[in-house]
Amino acid sequence: MLSPGCFKMLHGPSARMATAPYNYSYIFKYIIIGDMGVGKSCLLHQFTEKKFMADCPHTIGVEFGTRIIEVSGQKIKLQIWDTAGQERFRAVTRSYYRGAAGALMVYDITRRSTYNHLSSWLTDARNLTNPNTVIILIGNKADLEAQRDVTYEEAKQFAEENGLLFLEASAKTGENVEDAFLEAAKKIYQNIQDGSLDLNAAESGVQHKPSAPQGGRLTSEPQPQRDGCGC
Amino acid sequence: MENTGTTEVSDHKEIRQEDRSISDETDTGRDQPHGVELTPRSDMAKQDANSDKTVVSEPELTESTSGDSAGERREAVSMTRKRPESKAPTQPVGTEQQLLGEAEKESSSQAAGSWGYWGNWGKSLLSTATATVASVGHGISQAIEKAETSLGIPSPTEVSAEVKLFDGKGAEFDEAESSPKAQSESSSPTSGAFGMFSTITSAVQSTGITVLSGGLDALEFIGKKTMDVLAEGDPGFKKTKGLMNRNTTLSQALREAKEREELLVADQVSEDTEKKAHYGMLFDEFQGLSHLEALEILSNESEGKVKSVLHALSGQDVENLKEELEAIKEAFSLVEFDEEEEEEDNGGDGSEFVKELCELLSELNIATTSDKLSKARKNAHDRITEASNVLSAQPEESEPEKGQGPRDEAKSGDLNKVQKYSVENIHTSAIQSLAELTARSIEQFHKVAELILHSQDPDVEALDRAKTLSKVTVVLCKEVASLSKQFTSCLTALGATEKVEVLNPLITGVFLEASNSATYIQDAFQLLVPVLQVSQIQSRSNTTTR
Repeated sequence: MLSPGCFKMLHGPSARMATAPYNYSYIFKYIIIGDMGVGKSCLLHQFTEKKFMADCPHTIGVEFGTRIIEVSGQKIKLQIWDTAGQERFRAVTRSYYRGAAGALMVYDITRRSTYNHLSSWLTDARNLTNPNTVIILIGNKADLEAQRDVTYEEAKQFAEENGLLFLEASAKTGENVEDAFLEAAKKIYQNIQDGSLDLNAAESGVQHKPSAPQGGRLTSEPQPQRDGCGC
Repeated sequence: MENTGTTEVSDHKEIRQEDRSISDETDTGRDQPHGVELTPRSDMAKQDANSDKTVVSEPELTESTSGDSAGERREAVSMTRKRPESKAPTQPVGTEQQLLGEAEKESSSQAAGSWGYWGNWGKSLLSTATATVASVGHGISQAIEKAETSLGIPSPTEVSAEVKLFDGKGAEFDEAESSPKAQSESSSPTSGAFGMFSTITSAVQSTGITVLSGGLDALEFIGKKTMDVLAEGDPGFKKTKGLMNRNTTLSQALREAKEREELLVADQVSEDTEKKAHYGMLFDEFQGLSHLEALEILSNESEGKVKSVLHALSGQDVENLKEELEAIKEAFSLVEFDEEEEEEDNGGDGSEFVKELCELLSELNIATTSDKLSKARKNAHDRITEASNVLSAQPEESEPEKGQGPRDEAKSGDLNKVQKYSVENIHTSAIQSLAELTARSIEQFHKVAELILHSQDPDVEALDRAKTLSKVTVVLCKEVASLSKQFTSCLTALGATEKVEVLNPLITGVFLEASNSATYIQDAFQLLVPVLQVSQIQSRSNTTTR
């Protein structure tokens, strides 16, 4: 059992009762990680608002965005945690990794250092999320081809070696931004379908909203203990 | 309890106790461990009163939602609870009559179960009020929700009888309710309980603005009473006190409330105005839930750190540190509302609020600004201004229509529609404003937590920060109260000709969400306790290593 008291909100999906259809069937928690200035917040903004944010302030700790997407006819609500890239916030932002179903690991194709730091971000992501968390590598600022410092091929190879999805995108033009979030969602959904992602596992990062009531046992199970210590 | 999963058994032991203690006192506590069903259901009551069209479909909706969950709960109840008096609510059947009957029954059992405990409410509860905000909040919501469900029901005679009661006793609700005389005046404890609320609202409606603050006080007072009820089951709040024991998390409860609202809204295929008045969904749209969740994460982790540091120390070190940490914790319980001050008008446009907030935040000496809160306050102000404009435009519009003769009736019907639209608009604006301000307040606390945690060597003592944050909380809660007053004033003024059944639920709704907002803000504030304790430990170790 993982430490109690944390992350109750996003796991234990079937423990949560739902009695009627929602306007979405799943909630996926995403995190966006990567060095400062690679364009994490801009990617999120482009995804949720379909706009490019030219002068984006430094993120403090974490900010949020949500959007409902559709995968295989299923409406999925993405709850996206956009973490601060600044090193000084690293300790705080690490707290937010757990319970993520998907992680967008972003680097800047025009700054090699942001690519070089990927292994450190990947280590954090692997250590702090569950093994089924889908990680997608995003090379941002693909519109700045002239200033390219990291080739598509080497990044692709890095992704393959580490079992990551990979895309180059541009928050400015919007190119591949939609796909970045969608590809990860598809993969997560596929994991749910083929059973490799157990929705009942703690911190799967996925909440399911079943259309029919289920899991009645779960509601009654904890109750006897209630009697035991209440009086 | 069903929402917390099965993996955290040890952590939940305490919480279950807490739930149980609540349920012993307030009958409905058992059926609604988190009290989350309330918001949607109260909304339903509102819609029942407001829209003739939905009257037919509402009861069915209620049956399908509350029926299912009630069914599950009942199953659980029958397995575990054997107290004869704790009868499960009867299965609602598809007619409105029966539905209302159920609500009445629930209310009556609640009133019978808890009213007796409310005698000694006069003692100061303020100091404890902040410690258990989450549970209290739900308690309040339950009480209010019951009241509101009932608002549409009482017959005119009942209402007028209760108004008499009110006139006689003034604001001394407690006396009126707890004295046997009052009990006999109303036909049963049930109508006594109803009486209190419908009295408040009808008085508000008939006498206008001046009584509004009384209505708000009454809400506060209900909250205090709920505290007392809790205290009965949990003396000294031993189980309830402290973050470690009450981590069932507000965000979770709120999330569920929001989900239920979503569910309702989805089923209604309703127009935008309906959707906008759902506090929980709006709160989530402003990312209030996410920030609360993140703040909870930081709070829990900090708490773990504090515990492990205390473990690692020994002897005098432990005692010293404990003392320091206790001092910080105490700074968090100092939040008290100066009622006098609350009465004073702060100009209405919130500029005073923004100024005060800026000053306090700069005292914290962390890189946080009140921009978003100021924006939220400005939006609220704009909405109030807009509402006032509608208000001042109203008489001019209606004057020339007076002389229309035979078509008068049809016209006044039209006018009613216009008014109803406006009243509901103001209600929507109020709920929106409260949800936004609350979400931003929680975001502010979350940012404060992040910044405090990352600053390794604070220039400001953790204790001083705690005191400042306590002031921030007071400022925020006052602003919530002030906003709700302004909005309900608008409602009362504009809805003067409105039917009681239409106006009352709207006004109650605003008061309810204002009360909830203050609760959420105070709860988020309490989540900062361990964060500041960690900061204290950090600055301590920094000085010793030097």
